[in-house]
Amino acid sequence: MTSQTTFYFSRTLNRKFYSSEGKPLGKVKDLLIELSGSRPRVIAIKTRIKRKERILDFSQFELVKAITNYVIKCNNIVDFQIPESSHSIFLAESVLDRQIVDINGRKLVRVNDFRLVIISTGVYLIAVDVGLEGLLRRIGISHQIKTFLSWFNLTLPGRYILWDDVETIDSMRAGIRLSTTYSKLHTLHPSDLADIIEDMDHKSRINVFSALDEEKAADVLEELEDKAQVHVIETLSKEKAADVLEKMPAHEAADIIDQLETEKAEELLNEMTLETSGDVRELLQYEEDTVGSVMSADYVSFNKNVTVAHVIDELRKTKPEADVLYSILVVDDRERLIGALSLRDLIVSEPSLLLHLIMEKQLVTVFDDDKIDSLVEIIDKYNLLAVPVIDSSSKIQGLVMIDKVLEELIEK
Amino acid sequence: MIKMKPILKGRKNIFKKLMIFLAVLGPGIITLSAGNDAGGITTYSVCGANFGYSMLWIAIPLTLGLVVIQEISNRMGVVTGKGLSGVIRERFGVKITFYIMLGIFLGNMCNVTSEFAGIAASLELFGISKYISTPFFAVLVFVLALLGNYKTVEKVFLVGCLCFLTYIIAGFLAKPDWKEVGHNLVVPHLKLESSYLVTLIAVLGTTIAPWMQFYHQSSAAEKGTKLELLNYGRLDASLGSLIANMVAFFIVITCAATLFHSRTQIVEAKDAAMALKPLAGKYCFYLFAFGLLNASLLAACVLPLSAAFTVCEGFGWESGVGKTASEAPQFYIVYSILIIFGCAVVLIPRISLIGLMIFSQIINGLLLPFITFFTIILANDRRIMGKYANTPVFNVLAWCVGLGASLLSLTWIVILAIESV
Repeated sequence: MTSQTTFYFSRTLNRKFYSSEGKPLGKVKDLLIELSGSRPRVIAIKTRIKRKERILDFSQFELVKAITNYVIKCNNIVDFQIPESSHSIFLAESVLDRQIVDINGRKLVRVNDFRLVIISTGVYLIAVDVGLEGLLRRIGISHQIKTFLSWFNLTLPGRYILWDDVETIDSMRAGIRLSTTYSKLHTLHPSDLADIIEDMDHKSRINVFSALDEEKAADVLEELEDKAQVHVIETLSKEKAADVLEKMPAHEAADIIDQLETEKAEELLNEMTLETSGDVRELLQYEEDTVGSVMSADYVSFNKNVTVAHVIDELRKTKPEADVLYSILVVDDRERLIGALSLRDLIVSEPSLLLHLIMEKQLVTVFDDDKIDSLVEIIDKYNLLAVPVIDSSSKIQGLVMIDKVLEELIEK
Repeated sequence: MIKMKPILKGRKNIFKKLMIFLAVLGPGIITLSAGNDAGGITTYSVCGANFGYSMLWIAIPLTLGLVVIQEISNRMGVVTGKGLSGVIRERFGVKITFYIMLGIFLGNMCNVTSEFAGIAASLELFGISKYISTPFFAVLVFVLALLGNYKTVEKVFLVGCLCFLTYIIAGFLAKPDWKEVGHNLVVPHLKLESSYLVTLIAVLGTTIAPWMQFYHQSSAAEKGTKLELLNYGRLDASLGSLIANMVAFFIVITCAATLFHSRTQIVEAKDAAMALKPLAGKYCFYLFAFGLLNASLLAACVLPLSAAFTVCEGFGWESGVGKTASEAPQFYIVYSILIIFGCAVVLIPRISLIGLMIFSQIINGLLLPFITFFTIILANDRRIMGKYANTPVFNVLAWCVGLGASLLSLTWIVILAIESV
C-alpha cells in the first residue's frame, strides 16, 4: 500500500478479521502502540479467537478498503510477546474513554476515538478524537445525524488533537509508568498545570504530581487551591512532601503546613532541613491576621558600608527570586534596618559608591505584629511593591510582597 | 500516674475518632437528607394515606438496601476518586454510557419538575400562586448555583430538614395502633393491584433514588476522604440512611393514623398537611409548607447541578460553576434545560402537583434496577476497586435490591396489562 489512508480506531474495534481466503478468524479487541520510537506505531493486536484472548503480531495484518468500510485481513496468526522493556500501551484498555491532558488547550478532555494512518512503513497513531462527531460515531448515529444536519447545511463539529499534543494520565495502572513520562506536562506553565491537576481525580493527581521534579512540583503546589494543596501534601510520601515544601518560599510552605493536622505538620517539619523548617516554624507562630503571617522570610540585606559593585556581584552569585529584589534592604553595623534600594538605584549608580550614600532613608516599614489591614493602606498610599517588616528593635523580620496583600484583599 | 495513662489515652482516642468522624461526615448525611425531597415526602404521605400500614413491611429491607447501595457509592467515590458516570464511561464505553445518561437525564427532568411542584404546592398553602412562586424560585435557584456558593446553601437547608423530625412527634401524637404497626412491619403482604404496586415502586424509587448514587459518589470523590477512613464513610452512609428512613417511616405512620383513618385522599398539599394536625393544630399547614418548601429547595439546588455534572462527566465535557458559559456550554445547556423544563411543566394550568411528584418517583423506581446492576458490576471489578471490591454479603444484598426492584416493576406492568384488558 503506497497511498496514505486514515481510519478511525472505532471502525476496527470489535470487528471481525478474516484470513486471506476470506474466512472469519476472530474479533479485534485492542491495539498495542509502541511509544518509545519517534512515532507511535501499532505493533500488536489483541484479538478474541474462539473465546480465547490472544495478542497477535500486527505485521501480519492488513486493512483493505472495501466500498463503505475496511476489511481487516490476517495473513498468518503469529503470537506476539510484549517485550518487558518496551514502552507501549493498549489503546482501548488504557486511553479510550479516559481523560487525557490537552497540552495546547491546557485542560482535561475525554477520548472518544483515535485516528490512525496507514503508510508503507506501518500503521501509526496520529490524533485523538475528542469532539462531538467522535462521540456520535461511537454511539453509532453519526451518519444519521450528519444526514439530518446536511438538510440544514450544517456539519458536525469534529475536534482532534495531535497525539504529540496530549499526555495520558493512566490512573488505573499506577506505578508501571516509566519515569520519563509526563514530560509534555513539564512544558506547561505551573498555574495552568495546577488548574488541570485540580480537575483530576485524586489518584491521577498524585501520580502526576509524584512524577514532577521538585522545583516544578513546588511551583505547581504554590498555585493550587488551599484544599488541593493540603490533599496533595497529605497523600504524597513524607520525604517527597518535605522536599517539595523546602523548594517553596518559606511563607508559602508555612501557609500550607498551617492547614495540616498538628501531627502531620510536625512530621513534615522534622523531615525538612533545619534551616528551612526553622524559617517556617517562626512564620507559623504569628497570629492569622498579623503582618507576620503573610510576610516572606526571604529577603536580601547588605551593610551600609559595602559598595554597589559588591552588591551586584553578590546578587549575581546568589540569584534570588524576582520578588525578593523589589526592595533591597540596608542595615547598620548592629543589623538594624536603616534604608532600602531598588534595582534601578543599583544600576544607575557608580559601582564604587557606598550603599548609605544612595539608599532611600525615608523608609515605610511595618511591625511583624501589625494587623494586615494596615498594610493595604500603606501599599496603596505609597505605591510600593514590597514593604519591609521589622520587630520592635528595628531588626528585619521579612518582606511583605504586594501579591500577598492582593490575595488577602481578594479573599475578603 | 502510670495507671491513669491508658485511661487518658483511651479517652483521647475516642475524642480523636469522633473528630475524624465529624470531618468525614457529610456526603452520606447530606445526600440522604436531600433524598427526602418533595417527591419523597409526598410519596410517603400518599403511601400512608391510601394504604395505611400495609406497606410498612418494606421499611426494614428498604433501609438495609439503602445502606448497601449508598455504601457502595461512597466506597467507589473514595477508591476511584471519580464520579459514577466517569467510571461507567471508562468501564463500559460510550454506547452504554449514552443510554444511561439519557435515562438519568430524563429521570432528573422529572425529579426537577417534582421539586418545583413541591415549591409551588408548599407556597400555595401560604396563598401564593404557582405562577408567581415557580418562576421566582427558578431564578433564585439559578442565581444561587451561578454564584457558586451552593455548598453554603446546602448546609442552611440541611438544618431546615430537621423540621421533618416533627413527624416523629406527630407520629406518636396521632396515636397509631402500635400493635398493628408492629405486625405490619414484620409480616410482608403484597397486594396484586396496580395501584398498590405502583405506589410501592414509587416508595422504592424515592428511597433508593438513582440520582442519589451519582450525587453521593461524586461528593465522596470530591471530598477526597482517605482510604483508611472508609469505615467512617460507611458509618456516615448508614447513619444517613437510618435517619432518612426513620423520618419516612414516621411520615407513613402519621398519615396512616390520621388520613387513612379518616379516609382522606391526598389531592393537594393541604390534604397531606392535615396529617400534622394532632401536633400543630391549625398551624399544621405552616409547618408542613415550611418543611416541604425547604426540602424542595434543597433538592432543587442540588439536583440539577449534580445531573449536569453527571452528564458532562460521562461525555467528557467541561463542567463546573466556576467556568463561563463559553468554556462549558454543554454544562450550562443541560442545567438550563432541566430548570426551564421543570418550571414549565409546573406552570401548565390545572396540572396535579401531587401527581407530578408521585410520577417522578415512579420513574426513579423504574430506573433503579438498571443503575443498580451497573453499580454491582463496577463494585466487583477489581481493576477499578482493587482490594475494596464488594464482599459476597454486599453482593447478595445489592443483587436483592436490583432483582427485587426489577421483579416489582415487571409484576406491575403485567398486572397493569391484565387490569386494562
